[in-house]
Amino acid sequence: MTTGVEICKNCALNSKTQGITINPITGLCQFCEHYVPVSKQKKEEFRVQMANLLSSPPKNGKYDVIMALSGGIDSSYALYNLKKEFPHLRVLAVQFDNGFISETAFENAQKFCDLTKSAYFRLVLDNNLSRDAFIKAAQSTDAFPGFAKYRASDICNTCISIIKQKIMELAIQTKTPFIVFAFSPGQTEVPFLKLTRPFIAWSRKLFDGQLKTIGIEEREPYLIDQDVIAAGFPETNVMIIHPYLVWDYDKKQFRKECIRLGWKEPDLSDPNSSNCLLNEYAIKNHFDKYHIHSYAYDLSALVRQGNLKREEALKKINTPFSEDSIQKVHRQLNLK
Amino acid sequence: MNAISNDIIHFLQSRGFIDAKRSLSEHESLTENGVIDSIGLLQLVDFLESTYSVEIPMEIITPDKFDTLAGISQSVTDLKR
Repeated sequence: MTTGVEICKNCALNSKTQGITINPITGLCQFCEHYVPVSKQKKEEFRVQMANLLSSPPKNGKYDVIMALSGGIDSSYALYNLKKEFPHLRVLAVQFDNGFISETAFENAQKFCDLTKSAYFRLVLDNNLSRDAFIKAAQSTDAFPGFAKYRASDICNTCISIIKQKIMELAIQTKTPFIVFAFSPGQTEVPFLKLTRPFIAWSRKLFDGQLKTIGIEEREPYLIDQDVIAAGFPETNVMIIHPYLVWDYDKKQFRKECIRLGWKEPDLSDPNSSNCLLNEYAIKNHFDKYHIHSYAYDLSALVRQGNLKREEALKKINTPFSEDSIQKVHRQLNLK
Repeated sequence: MNAISNDIIHFLQSRGFIDAKRSLSEHESLTENGVIDSIGLLQLVDFLESTYSVEIPMEIITPDKFDTLAGISQSVTDLKR
């Protein structure tokens, strides 16, 4: 995929990717040139802030935390570590069933909920609705803004946005003060996010516009209920926490620890996902449309931060797609 | 174009939100015109907080105050006072 192109000397981004420029003098991409690492002091401030928030959460409802649990390595380990650090937390782990989650991922999620004594909820959108959204996301272009194309594929951006909308809705409804997303430090840069009603309403409006551009006419099922936003009075009192911006991020160590705890490797050929069968197809679809590998930015950020070796990132990005997996998704989505 | 707007444009260009050729007017909607989404807004907030040593309360992240270069510049200027 990267033959005959310039690759950033520091990370895994290359000049063939739309919007990426390599400085001919330094050999660095624009992201590496402008990169400022998070200081140890800042990281310590984050750690203290998270401890302050989670040590004694307000007891408004049945749960203290709603955790998005895919059953993959990152979220499984995040749930385990969260309960290890804050054993008093009453966690509701929500696994979104998008119709393409591997059976092993379901087993892993339930196993880690049992292990951590967390409540488990499988969030299911009508399978036809999910399929319709993914087909339209695959067939559309430019529904998401420029930078979002680096962050994830159109299909994954659609899926993640649905999860966020539905989890925000659930948190407000159940008066749960914290939502935890196990995004890697390459996927997000903001550790804490207080959800205000205007911001939730705005993010709803933006996702509604994206769904409209994708070509979805009946969009309400994918969005947070307007009445729920209005009901969070005077404020929603919900905060999103991204713990991997607070904790050290070492995926190899997480995998080792998860396996020790009983996590099983799913039967997937995709080096970038340990839970979703759709992911590999989503990456290929995105690459075909924009010439952007949707994990290149995330993995490169991890390299920049010292959380991943450049060679490993390049290997992941350059792993050929499995035709079998792609065809399987084609059939499941009824695509030609 | 004031200094804050120029800094925002530079940030948007350096982070891949827009390419170098794309021009932005002071009152153009960043979200409606596909420049930025809700996650991008948070990255921009992070950038502004560290650049101008201000704390931007989530309460002001609204379409009225945070969707155009003019609105964002004004919000940051107000917070600096």
